[in-house]
Amino acid sequence: MRFPTLATAILMASSALAADRSVTDDTGRSVTIPQEPARVVVMHEPLLGLPLMELGVNVVGSYGRKDDGSFVTAVDFVDTVFGTGRPKPRGIGPVGQIDLEKLRALAPDLIIGMEIDVEKVEQLSTVAPVYLQNVSSGKAHGFSVEEDLATVVGKKEAFETRRAAYAARVEAVRKTLPADGKPKTYLAVFLTDQLNALGDMSGAVQALEDLGYARLPLTAEKAPAGEGGSMLLVPLGAETFGRLDPDLLVLMNTYMGDARDADGTKAALERIVPGWEKFVTPAKEGRVLYLDSAKVSLPTIASAEHTLDAIEAWAKR
Amino acid sequence: MRPARATDGKAVLRFSGGLEIRVGNLLSAAALLVTAVLLATVSLGSGATDAGLLQLLQSIAGEPASADQAYALWTVRLPRIVMGFMAGWAVALAGAMLQSITRNPLADPGLLGLSQGSMTTIMLLLVLAPAAPKLAIAVAAFAGGLGVALALLWLVGGERASGLAILLMGIAVETVLSSVGSLLLLYTPPETSLALADWMAGSLFQANWSAIGTFAPLFFASLLGLFLLGRATSAHDLGAELAMSLGEPVRRSRPLLLIFAVLLSSSAVTAVGPLTFLGVLAPRLAGFLSPASGRARLFLSALTGGILVVAADTLARSMIGDLPLPIGLGLTLIGVSLFILALRLQALRRLQLH
Repeated sequence: MRFPTLATAILMASSALAADRSVTDDTGRSVTIPQEPARVVVMHEPLLGLPLMELGVNVVGSYGRKDDGSFVTAVDFVDTVFGTGRPKPRGIGPVGQIDLEKLRALAPDLIIGMEIDVEKVEQLSTVAPVYLQNVSSGKAHGFSVEEDLATVVGKKEAFETRRAAYAARVEAVRKTLPADGKPKTYLAVFLTDQLNALGDMSGAVQALEDLGYARLPLTAEKAPAGEGGSMLLVPLGAETFGRLDPDLLVLMNTYMGDARDADGTKAALERIVPGWEKFVTPAKEGRVLYLDSAKVSLPTIASAEHTLDAIEAWAKR
Repeated sequence: MRPARATDGKAVLRFSGGLEIRVGNLLSAAALLVTAVLLATVSLGSGATDAGLLQLLQSIAGEPASADQAYALWTVRLPRIVMGFMAGWAVALAGAMLQSITRNPLADPGLLGLSQGSMTTIMLLLVLAPAAPKLAIAVAAFAGGLGVALALLWLVGGERASGLAILLMGIAVETVLSSVGSLLLLYTPPETSLALADWMAGSLFQANWSAIGTFAPLFFASLLGLFLLGRATSAHDLGAELAMSLGEPVRRSRPLLLIFAVLLSSSAVTAVGPLTFLGVLAPRLAGFLSPASGRARLFLSALTGGILVVAADTLARSMIGDLPLPIGLGLTLIGVSLFILALRLQALRRLQLH
């Protein structure tokens, strides 16, 4: 039998290159990965790829990139979060159909996936070691994914430096906000064809909470559906939305379209809750902040900083 | 072995033990086998890496291929071809058997709800125990399929039921189970339902040698089953009463055929996801190629099923650009076009006769 010999040779070659340290991933698997991976492929570019790119990791491939370099969604988050001009990862086959040969051609020394990729691990491991990172709510918060990944890829220092700069920025922005010593709440709403409360894991949530805002509690009665731990969004009823009164109402329109500025967001909300500006209390009292979802909804420090910029501009208006 | 003529005037080969094979069926089987080999060669050569049959033969002969070529051939393409062929074989064979016992050319593991039964139990298992081992999934799939089969038999009133009753009840059960599936997809956390949806689309991504190792014994068992149970299917084609009058132990062979069909279809569902309609397509196409009954019909149907899945996978892998083509869609594109063509040709032939 030639196959077992071949398979062993391939496995030995890849593990000889990679055998640096053993870590336990978020699903409890023990995996041997390089000390500082040089070529990483991610199974989800916005949630895993961007935090890694921010840390200076060479992300060579991502699931969702096409052959021509464009991204599968309307928005290319690398451009919106970091600015244009950055090199983009290559694709590993169409969505729903990973091409192992294309993946191998990228010569990755580490593949990072989400916990839902557990079914794919066996096949992906034939190319490179696979580390699975939790990205669901309750398990990840703010930009904690970036912090976790920094430890995995040996970029702890880079992360700390980046976070120190961010912390200084938080302090600067905090000073621009009116301080009356009272605790303040926020409600971040993400508009699709319905209203959704933004989940825990995003730069926007991190920035708002670091500035001292606390998430407006939504009881089970107020949030009728979607209690199952969504990664990004929890559906919110239009009637419930009308009654809520957070100290800061944060609105952002979906990144599936181009109308992500304040006017586009207002128009989108007008379609779901007609006349909202006339009866929603925060709107009447000028406590509404508009954010660009394509910049702020990812678990990166850059997203948190985009949020800080927007809050600063809002506070100074 | 000597050539002879059957009672309908068709050429047959008679063997000393009394075995009789139609020459037409033999030729069709040979043609299908050649097609399978050709298709496997094309499939072996399609993909991102520049490798194919030549490199495979060289590597078997001892001349080492590059690591990339070896990976593409041995780890990606060959397992997909082998697994795809075996899964298609199993589903088509299950379909052909079910059609005999229900006496209905539309019977299919998908239409009768057997695949859905397997899917639903697998989904339930994945929701309740996401980290369930592969064996548990296989057992759940078999239990689900068998559960639906037994429920069907009980609902239609056992062996006296007509083929149409079984089919109608099957469609009803299938619809109920599909809605249970949709319900599970809607109300499980998005992470779980995404994983489920991925799996429901069906794919050969998971094909590897260990999966083939698990499936292979069943594949060989299906060959054995084909020879042991094949004769019985031609009796069942005539209906329970006639089969009994011909000496066929219907009370024994009918449940046996059913269980065997469930085993085949549930294993295929576990390995590559649902391959709906293949169970109808393959026997029909095989019948168009060469009308047959009994073992020959089962063999030709199964062979056609295997070929169709390999063809669908080859098409998916040779798509230019970033167009995803799930295995089910590929099967529809290739299989259903052939199906329509075959039906149209048959219709034209009938028109010419009259």
